[in-house]
Amino acid sequence: MEALTGWWDDYAWGSLVVAKVFLTSIGLMVLFGLIGAGAKLSNIRIAQKLAGAYTVIFRGTPEILVILLLYFGSAIALTSITQMFDPEVKFVDVPPFWAGTFAIAIIVGSYATETFRGAFLGVSPGSIEAARALGMSPLQTFIYIRIPEMWRIALPPFGNHMLSLIKDTALISIIGLNETLFVAKQAIATTNKPFTMYIFVGLIYLAFSSAITLSVMGLEKFGKRTTEGAR
Amino acid sequence: MSFDLYLIVESVPLMLSGIGITLKLLVISAFLGLLLAILLLLMRISGKWYLDWPAQVYIYVFRGTPILVQIFIVYYGFPQFEFIRDSIFWPILREPAGCAIVALSLNTGAYVSEILRGGVLGVGKGLLEAGSALGMSARQKFIYITTPIAVRLALPAYSNDVISLLKSTALASTITIADMTGIARTIVAETYAPYEIFISMAIIYMAFTWVLQKSFGLIEGYLGRYAKREA
Amino acid sequence: MSASDADPLIQMQNVDKFFGDFQALKNINLEVHRGERIVVCGPSGSGKSTMIRCINRLEEHSAGRIIIDGNELTDKVKDIDAVRREVGMVFQSFNLFPHMTIAKNLMIAQQLVRKTPKGQAREIAMHYLERVKIPEQADKYPIQLSGGQQQRVAIARALCMQPEIMLFDEPTSALDPEMISEVLDVMIDLANDGMTMIVVTHEMGFARSVADRVIFMDAGEIVEEAKPEEFFDNPVHERTKLFLSQILAH
Ligand SMILES: Nc1ncnc2c1ncn2[C@@H]1O[C@H](COP(=O)(O)OP(=O)(O)O)[C@@H](O)[C@H]1O
Ligand SMILES: [Mg+2]
Repeated sequence: MEALTGWWDDYAWGSLVVAKVFLTSIGLMVLFGLIGAGAKLSNIRIAQKLAGAYTVIFRGTPEILVILLLYFGSAIALTSITQMFDPEVKFVDVPPFWAGTFAIAIIVGSYATETFRGAFLGVSPGSIEAARALGMSPLQTFIYIRIPEMWRIALPPFGNHMLSLIKDTALISIIGLNETLFVAKQAIATTNKPFTMYIFVGLIYLAFSSAITLSVMGLEKFGKRTTEGAR
Repeated sequence: MSFDLYLIVESVPLMLSGIGITLKLLVISAFLGLLLAILLLLMRISGKWYLDWPAQVYIYVFRGTPILVQIFIVYYGFPQFEFIRDSIFWPILREPAGCAIVALSLNTGAYVSEILRGGVLGVGKGLLEAGSALGMSARQKFIYITTPIAVRLALPAYSNDVISLLKSTALASTITIADMTGIARTIVAETYAPYEIFISMAIIYMAFTWVLQKSFGLIEGYLGRYAKREA
Repeated sequence: MSASDADPLIQMQNVDKFFGDFQALKNINLEVHRGERIVVCGPSGSGKSTMIRCINRLEEHSAGRIIIDGNELTDKVKDIDAVRREVGMVFQSFNLFPHMTIAKNLMIAQQLVRKTPKGQAREIAMHYLERVKIPEQADKYPIQLSGGQQQRVAIARALCMQPEIMLFDEPTSALDPEMISEVLDVMIDLANDGMTMIVVTHEMGFARSVADRVIFMDAGEIVEEAKPEEFFDNPVHERTKLFLSQILAH
């Protein structure tokens, strides 16, 4: 444990990076998921096809390949675009933060696509019809019936998506993001205590996962209360 | 920025030469992970707290931390200890592939045990009561009623987990293993052509995933034959 | 150690059953003799299922004594096994094993519990399938049969164990109306053969023509117990009258 002395602040900064990536990627993941689900549920054939390809591609490709491709690929693309305007430029660096955050959000978003779609379809047509029959407007039906039901269906898998995101942040260290795993590597170079350092990283992630799990449990309880109260 | 077809034609066979290692990692880890999962499942449903709790903690820790951290702990971390270097496991843990298999098995075991438990919990209570009413013992009910039905219920989720495992094997490339991804990364480092290499690599993984999905589909069809109405 | 024929086959003495704080059975006393046919009715939640499930210990009673053919139901596994061998049960939701063919459904417990060899188990299975008039379905899976057929298979499955007593928990409640009579016919057939039966049902026609006694339960208690004619024509208790008026109304 004394090996950790002097590294606390580095781990703290690393954890902050994890948190930043996580929070940014949630927003993007929801966005990708909603677009994907919307496309699948639309009756535009090409949109359905594209969304289908989206889910198949990211279900079948290792996360690390996606991250590497987005990082190196976008660097090359940006470089060649920049060179069109300024031939002097040799190389444009893409920040690992953005390449990595985008990559994991796209990956997990492909799973969220199915979750959101399932949640939308899972709302029983009966309760929608009943609400309409009771004279509720389409908007009221949407707000008071559809949204709470979707929320209830989507929350447990959504919790899993958040856990995937937090754990996938570790992969971004591969392209040099200075999160906790990256910090550990540097610490090992001077302390030569790999076990201690990596276990500590594990504990940090366990703390993050626990926080997410507890929040989801809290939200589920809250959701149950509101839906039960609505009966 | 252009797409170098010749490079693809040249590199694909190279990358495919790593498929043996990828397959080895997948098959051995899936097998060992399944054994571990069954053990954890039995501990969880034993009804004895001193078996149930350790299994729960194990599952919680391994599902709550990134697989990459787990791989690093096994590969870089374990040799920090003299007693591990002196133990009978050293011949395995000295090899990167051995470490990858250990980490992947420990990881997938945690996930699969939860999948199996879901299957066991999904077996209708009425069927077990019918078994009791016919005088079947707890053991007989578990073997002849719970197991076959739970296997069928768990199979779709299990096939997803095997696909996740396939994707996780790509992380072996981070500990110097020349699996398909490892070879791809080497080629990219030499040619600096991430698009060509990583995209063709991704397509190979997708094909692999497709084969896995189809195979599991066949097994599901066979196991689920009694769940279809037509003869 | 079978008791003499004069003793009741089933004896329930001062039986209570609690689910946590909730009392589902209150001081149940019931005697059933060999060959008797008992129909149990009462509103939903009155404890009918709980009572008959205590008889083969799918539920464990909290107080009182339950003695089946001389075996008292205690915690001893041996006694429970002995009792379960003598008591067959048919459920509202059939509970056929979905992953086994019809024949296998009938054979599995014979093979495992009675250690009957496979060939003989199959013979017995076919015998009872003929009795419930669906031998041609032997090699299908449960899902391929209609509800009425499934319930007849469930009856045959219980009969294969050659029980002394048959318990039926609302065997026709999950069935479409046109299938009810095919199941009741099998049960009447069984009654005519002298099987000891306790049937939870609201089929009042069946109760009138088959039952030796009708038991009315409400709120965990046996409220009224009478021969069918008296029960239907001259019920004593207000609660029984109310229940009958409701059930005969439609
Ligand atoms: N396993 C159980 N846990 C808690 N309460 C139960 C359980 N089983 C039955 N009960 C309760 O016991 C009462 C009697 O149930 P039951 O015997 O199923 O009634 P019936 O078969 O007459 O409809 C009901 O109020 C029911 O809610
Ligand atoms: Mg009932």
